Amino acid sequence: MSISAKEYLIVFEAEKCLQCHACETSCSSWRELSPGIRFRRVLNIWNGQYPRIKNFSLSLSCLHCVEPACAAVCPVEAITKRKQDGLVLVDQDLCIGCGACGQACEFNVPQMVETGEGEKMKKCDLCFSRRDFHDIPPCIDTCPGKALQLREVSQSEKRQVEQTIQGVLLLAKAF
Amino acid sequence: MDYQQAQATAKAYGETVVPSVCAMCGPGGPGGGCGIYAFVKNGRFTRVAGMDECPVNRGAICAKGHAAPQWVYSKDRLSHPLRRIGKKGEGRFEKISWDEAITYIAEVLIEQKKKYGPESLAILVPAKRSYSDYLQRFLTVHGSPNYGHSGICVMQRAFAFMYTVGDWPKPDYDKSDLIIYWGRQPIYSGPVARPARAFLAAKQRGAKIVAIKPSMEPDAGLADIWLPVRPGTDAALALAMLHVVIREDLIDHVFVTQWCEGFEELQQHVRRFTPQWAESICGVTSDQIEMLARLYANTPKATIDVGNGLEHAPSSSDAIRAVASLIAITGHLDRPGSNLFSSPPEKAPKPVALKERYTQELVDKLVGPEFPPMFQPFMEGPSSAYYRIIESVLSEKPYPVRGLIAPGTQPSVSTRGTKNVFAALEKLDFFVTADVTRTAEMAYADVVIPVTTPYESNHPFHAVPGWLMATNRVVEPLGPYKSTIEFFFDLAVAMGYGEDFWGGDIGIAMDDLLEPLAVDMEQLRQKPHGLQFKPGPPHYEQYEEVFSRLSPAIGHLPFLPHGKVALYNTLFEEAGFSALPQWKEPPESLTGTVDLIKEYPLILSDYHTSKSFSASWQRNVPRLREIEPEPQLHIHPDTALARGIIQGDWVKVLSPHGWIKVRAELYPGIRPDTVMVLHGWWQGCAELGYEDYPIVDGGANVNVMYSVDADKAYDPLVTAMSSQTLVQVTKWEDRQ
Repeated sequence: MSISAKEYLIVFEAEKCLQCHACETSCSSWRELSPGIRFRRVLNIWNGQYPRIKNFSLSLSCLHCVEPACAAVCPVEAITKRKQDGLVLVDQDLCIGCGACGQACEFNVPQMVETGEGEKMKKCDLCFSRRDFHDIPPCIDTCPGKALQLREVSQSEKRQVEQTIQGVLLLAKAF
Repeated sequence: MDYQQAQATAKAYGETVVPSVCAMCGPGGPGGGCGIYAFVKNGRFTRVAGMDECPVNRGAICAKGHAAPQWVYSKDRLSHPLRRIGKKGEGRFEKISWDEAITYIAEVLIEQKKKYGPESLAILVPAKRSYSDYLQRFLTVHGSPNYGHSGICVMQRAFAFMYTVGDWPKPDYDKSDLIIYWGRQPIYSGPVARPARAFLAAKQRGAKIVAIKPSMEPDAGLADIWLPVRPGTDAALALAMLHVVIREDLIDHVFVTQWCEGFEELQQHVRRFTPQWAESICGVTSDQIEMLARLYANTPKATIDVGNGLEHAPSSSDAIRAVASLIAITGHLDRPGSNLFSSPPEKAPKPVALKERYTQELVDKLVGPEFPPMFQPFMEGPSSAYYRIIESVLSEKPYPVRGLIAPGTQPSVSTRGTKNVFAALEKLDFFVTADVTRTAEMAYADVVIPVTTPYESNHPFHAVPGWLMATNRVVEPLGPYKSTIEFFFDLAVAMGYGEDFWGGDIGIAMDDLLEPLAVDMEQLRQKPHGLQFKPGPPHYEQYEEVFSRLSPAIGHLPFLPHGKVALYNTLFEEAGFSALPQWKEPPESLTGTVDLIKEYPLILSDYHTSKSFSASWQRNVPRLREIEPEPQLHIHPDTALARGIIQGDWVKVLSPHGWIKVRAELYPGIRPDTVMVLHGWWQGCAELGYEDYPIVDGGANVNVMYSVDADKAYDPLVTAMSSQTLVQVTKWEDRQ
């Protein structure tokens, strides 16, 4: 597993999120996803107990992890982390649709999609394959609060985000 | 994206781009309606991007907006005009042409007009649409005052505010240090519109945010303070806040002395509405009530944003009047950062309504006035309450409505008393429904008119504060039908009303209405993102002007006969209503109907808006249905546990009036004594394998649950039919 020179991330800021699901739906629309397939999803997270309770939102798609668990378990090495920009990409020709990546991913990101040639794993690729959308992914463009931003981050920043979100998802499971 | 980017994107995809206005939610009226770039490939609508240049949404578009193509191409689209051939409810129709439908409807309505008078025709009116004004115009020309507004939205606030302070003063979000969202949903009611973005901006600059509502939605979650009020008890809370600010002398003496009528009476009146009393009614603690009253009164730049949550209770107008009084006496009227008066824009399109034709004679014919006749017509013209129209069919009092047209609205799910709705439709002489997709009660229609979505229409223009835009056709109509506006134009011509409908020519109509703005539709279409208007500089303390405003009622009496804030309302008193805001219980409540508590221990209310759907449509849109697949009952985990209910269980919710079957969503952010569900659930989604739910008992239609008792369920001043009741919740057993 090669370590890439750069890390990119669509950074999410919860205090700017209205939980409108526009990011989720614009992605589904612009990437022409089938029902049940989501590259990005929005969660409602509770914190506390009535009446001292709060909720906040999480908009989550592939983090393109520093050490992607999906890539580590893939039996046919279909998943690679690109050196030049750290994008974690799935070679559709190599993928055999076994679903091991989905089991391994802490964030439930991999989506098994029925294609003409059997099931293949697809996921958020930072719209790398759709750069013609005036270079801004629809999830980022459509957000009323500008809660999503594409940023270059350091490895340690990326690891920090991975940890934080793991924690948030555990909190979500607690309810 | 902006227009240049939209063109570049279209080119890259081999598509064309059509700028237009989004049509996926209610706020198609003033203040709403977002700018979009719609993409088309080989004549097919593919996707949407938000229009950066539009001042309403500034490039953002919500989930509903993105799901538009799925709505346009829904399998549920009505494909042909239909004429009923079977019995009502059988759903047997024959296909007819658009022209045949128009001719037939015109014949029947002309006959009914002769036999029963023009008032025998009523139109059930949806949430504000681009065509709402044309419905009123049609009725006026026909001679009927029975424009059937819902009775539970927007106009209720407008009425109570205007007859108290001469205007409905809106929050000055951008300058406030404290924003109180009271029964208001600033996100779902337009997630990308100005109030939602202003909410975030306020947070970011450190303004304090208070949310008053029974359940925690994302806005309340982002707020600094959440006051979980019991549904329908806002009047009690407001009266107690008045009590506190007056008791502690936190009032603007200069303003009260100069600009308020009846302060002494109000002071005396609110003595008994103590915070302790209010706590027992509304569930907000007396400490919290005192805290909020003091915080509000002591913060100069403080604003209150009153929402629809205060428009569904017998004490609706009391609550709003009390809030208006609170705003006034604490010196928060038309001052920076508080609640601001608005003036009509300098230049506006011609009004569509024929106000000069409103007469006493016309008003006297209202079958079920939404507001008392002496205050009619109100802002939208003469109006009967939606449900009262339905009732008249059954009761025949004061006379039965004989013909009903329902454009873009589904009476069996959108108003209370569903069983009565079906009984009325069964009895009704003539029922026409005009909609985009199949409706809940179309099997009872005599004629079904399919209409185009606004994405298939090139009219009307869209005029909101700051933005004038043409509706541009994204794709051709999918079938042999036209728009709702064209339906009424064609019908008007067929009935001999062509002269009042621009000879039936929509193009001429649009240009005529635009004339004061010195632009025609052709010129407007040349502007890919319409025309933007900068708001004028704010004016403050416009008391003289606003307090002398004349009402739209016959005779045009001033809203405020004393030229001052009507803390004590002599107009209402003369009309036989309370001069001061009172507390009235909902038909069923924990404090009002104590004998019911044993059998029905929990409060039920419903959500008006959601992030996923608009009203009672869009359940059949797959991308939206995926967000919220099934009707959920928000129930506190302890309340569920006590009933052996776990997350995802189907549950039966039973009130004294009906029952529904919904899924339990364990919801830590709701009052433990309250359960809530979204209204408007009936329609399935074929693509995802969801079937329709029953519309009466046993489905998920919350409107079967509430009282429609004429003496208990209404606010006598503003209709505001109650959406609170008492229920028991039990785990669903298949044996039931």
